Amino acid sequence: MNRTGPPAVELDGVTRHYGETTAVEDLSLAVREGEFFTLVGPSGCGKTTTLRLIAGFEDPTQGEVRFGGTSVTGVPPEDRDVGVVFQNYALFPHMTVGENIAYGLSFTDPPGGGSAEARVQELLELVDLGGMADRDPDTLSGGQQQRVAMARALAPGPDVLLLDEPMSALDAKLRERLRVQVREIQQELGITTIYVTHDQEEALAVSDRVAVMRDGTPEQVAPPRTIYREPATEFVATFVGDNNVLSGAVTAVRSTDAADADSGQTIADVTVDSATLSVALGADSDPTSAVSPGDRLTFCVRPERLAVDADRNPLTATVTSAEFLGETTRVHLDWEGRELLLRAEDPPTDTVAVGFAPTDAHIVDRRS
Amino acid sequence: MARDHDGDAKGAGSDHSEKATETAGSPSRKRGRTVRDTIERRAIVGLAVATIALLLGIFYYPVATVFIDSVLVDGRWTGRVFISILQDQFYFGEPARFLAGEPIASVIEGVLSPDRRLGVIGFTAYQAALSTVASVALGLPAAYLLARYEFPGRRTLRSLTILPFVLPSIMVGVGFVATFGQNGTLNAVLGALGLGEVKLLFTLEAVVIAHAFYNAPLVARVTTAAWESVDASAVETARSLGASPFRAFRDVVAPQLYPSVLMGAALTFVFTFSTFPIVLALGGFRLATVEVFVYRLIRDLEYAEAAALALIELGISLGLLYAYLRYEAKHTVRSRGIRPLPRRPLRPPSLSVRELLPRMGLAVYALVALAVFIAPIASMLVASFSGPEGLTLANYQFLIDRQTTGASFQVQPWDAVRNSLLFGVASLAVALPMGVVVAVLTTRDYRGRKLVDAVAMAPLAVSGIVVGLGLLRGLVFGVEVGGSRFAVGGGLAIVAAHAVAGYPFVVRTVAPGLESIDHTLVESARALGAPRARALLDIELPLVWPAVIAGAAFAFAISIGEFSATIVLASGTNQFTMPIAIERFIGRRLGPATAMGVVLLVVTSASFLLIDRLGGDDVGF
Repeated sequence: MNRTGPPAVELDGVTRHYGETTAVEDLSLAVREGEFFTLVGPSGCGKTTTLRLIAGFEDPTQGEVRFGGTSVTGVPPEDRDVGVVFQNYALFPHMTVGENIAYGLSFTDPPGGGSAEARVQELLELVDLGGMADRDPDTLSGGQQQRVAMARALAPGPDVLLLDEPMSALDAKLRERLRVQVREIQQELGITTIYVTHDQEEALAVSDRVAVMRDGTPEQVAPPRTIYREPATEFVATFVGDNNVLSGAVTAVRSTDAADADSGQTIADVTVDSATLSVALGADSDPTSAVSPGDRLTFCVRPERLAVDADRNPLTATVTSAEFLGETTRVHLDWEGRELLLRAEDPPTDTVAVGFAPTDAHIVDRRS
Repeated sequence: MARDHDGDAKGAGSDHSEKATETAGSPSRKRGRTVRDTIERRAIVGLAVATIALLLGIFYYPVATVFIDSVLVDGRWTGRVFISILQDQFYFGEPARFLAGEPIASVIEGVLSPDRRLGVIGFTAYQAALSTVASVALGLPAAYLLARYEFPGRRTLRSLTILPFVLPSIMVGVGFVATFGQNGTLNAVLGALGLGEVKLLFTLEAVVIAHAFYNAPLVARVTTAAWESVDASAVETARSLGASPFRAFRDVVAPQLYPSVLMGAALTFVFTFSTFPIVLALGGFRLATVEVFVYRLIRDLEYAEAAALALIELGISLGLLYAYLRYEAKHTVRSRGIRPLPRRPLRPPSLSVRELLPRMGLAVYALVALAVFIAPIASMLVASFSGPEGLTLANYQFLIDRQTTGASFQVQPWDAVRNSLLFGVASLAVALPMGVVVAVLTTRDYRGRKLVDAVAMAPLAVSGIVVGLGLLRGLVFGVEVGGSRFAVGGGLAIVAAHAVAGYPFVVRTVAPGLESIDHTLVESARALGAPRARALLDIELPLVWPAVIAGAAFAFAISIGEFSATIVLASGTNQFTMPIAIERFIGRRLGPATAMGVVLLVVTSASFLLIDRLGGDDVGF
């Protein structure tokens, strides 16, 4: 990955209105060369509009889109060197698989200097559809159509690959298999890829970096692990995976000594309803945003970080229901009228004491 | 459609390291713009400009000429012609007295009195209203049959509902004369049954039935489409909530049909309000409608009065259409027929009253429909082979004799066939590209699209007489352009009139196809490097090709059957077509007219088959 040059794709203060409604609001993003970048969010968050702005199917109401540092304002889609795969694949129904893949080669020479036929063969091999060139698209299964669409988008050798929910029409098993394949192809070609999905699990699984979008703006842009472990906002915390979000007033801030289990941490004591819970503020917490008593803290604890019969931060809760998921069970708990989620291999019944280590809590909001 | 569902499993996620390709960092396709490139980029704009220029030349300019004719008399601007028509009881009936300044009370008295005068316009509206009622009454049972029953030939029958629209109206007129005339098939049948003769020719009834022949299939067509898009689960939900079958129909199905029935009725009214050839053939001047009077005024060279009367008629038609479109915009419900209502077999599954009653109703309807739709064509065929001494070829012999020995001022049958085909091909060559371009322009999103749509579709509402008159006064009589006189021959003007009449049908068949194309197909093509015009050529047009062929067949058929504009433009020239020839013959003897009608039927059918064949597979007729 080239981290020194200008970003491969950059959006600078981009806004897009449709009449009265705003699809994207003052959006700024920078996608690096060769990066697998994912836009994830609930429907209506503006992720598809963002992709269409990059492809040139829409023009920004305000702001600018840049490719490699150069503005592409006014450049029509056909001159942007992007490959696009749509959710419905949009294969040309009156052309064979081979003709579909060759279509983009009528406007450019095949990259690498070979013949168009050779390029089509090469792409078919790449997506494991060798020998399918003469088939009609409607004789292919959904997964095969999706791979033809990939091959077609890649054939002219685009600078950027744009994928708009390319898996959402497929069943779960196939989706998981294909996303691995898409990632492999992307790695192999080293092509800058922007991927739109509403499936946060998919986003975490394949991406170099993820932008979690909400109401037309990104809430957080970070690598998948950071998104999961250190969500920047309460929305990100709850949108990506399950989470328990709690908030309360800070009663005390203290440092721990070397003998303590939370050695080297600054701990805040937060009163949530009747309980006082210890929350680690993190070793590298910014001194200027230091937490002081009286502040209101919102923090989250992942269900798998809640431990049964733990002595740290104990919460006595009653089991309301349980979902067996195979590997684990998702247990719904009631603690003083709040719902908590617990992941456990052996689900408790009735009443249970759960707890968590102060370092397993992650702060998403602080108000003084 | 998917014939092969395997193949996903194999190889997905396998190792690609050996097939590494050079993609990222390869030379990009950002090229310098070549001349061809620029042409491709500008192609759509260029075609749009050319089409609109053509439309201005062969439609808007001529129609504007008509308007100017009516307000510019002897070199002076005046509203006198309009005012005198509006105040003339001959045209406007009793309301004209009010417009002439008489006190309202005496006008109301006049309207209520038994010997009130409708005037030509009043009568035209009256016969249009009766025709609309008859068309709806005859069309709805057909829609019920087509939407709710399954039987062999249902699809064919559904396709046939388009047929009356493209049948030459003067030919249908001849068919009805052959049916209703003194020696017509109706009286022959009644005579054989020992019943007395009826005299229907030159009566309002005959005109209304002929109008129903044309418009009931239209009502049936739009209503069937609406009925088929009713979602079965909506009806099933109503039933499960406790509604009886009748209540479910009344509360769920019927409200989804009203807008379509109203559309059929509104279009029928507008069409029959400006009726011309049917009335000319069946009504004579005693039952003359506005359009017939416009034609008579043109023949008498009263151009100003003809133009004013035509414009008043146009104003009324456009006002009705506008009112209807306003209603449609407010009331259209976009229902997605996810699962259409299941069709019942036409053969009753059991002999219960509930099963038999609707089917007996349909059987009665079938008899009526047979009489209305089959009789005129059958009668025309029979009449063409009949003479005073029974079966004969004398009528066809007459056509051949006329061709070989007729005087030059007489209508020559072969010339009529040749002219019709020539004008048909030439107007198709204009109407098809025009229609496709307009369809492209009206299905894309941009500011002012509505205006373009209205401008392009206006010819549908303007009667052939007005277009013909405009072309005659504007282009055939000549235009001064920069000091030199510029005139168009009668033949070219006829081609222009036919193209104007035909291209809206190309638009109407092609536009829905373009509209239904998934926009991501075009976007994919563009992302792959195709300029907009190439995407149109490579992706959209191939996908709507059957609709393009259907539109071509329409445009050709419209040209072959066009009567109103042609008779205005062909008067006094030798540019007559088959419909004009029929009209010339019908005035003297029915026999040769029916023979000519059969020739027209054969030529039209043959052309249809040819276009169908040229278009390749399945064209939606």
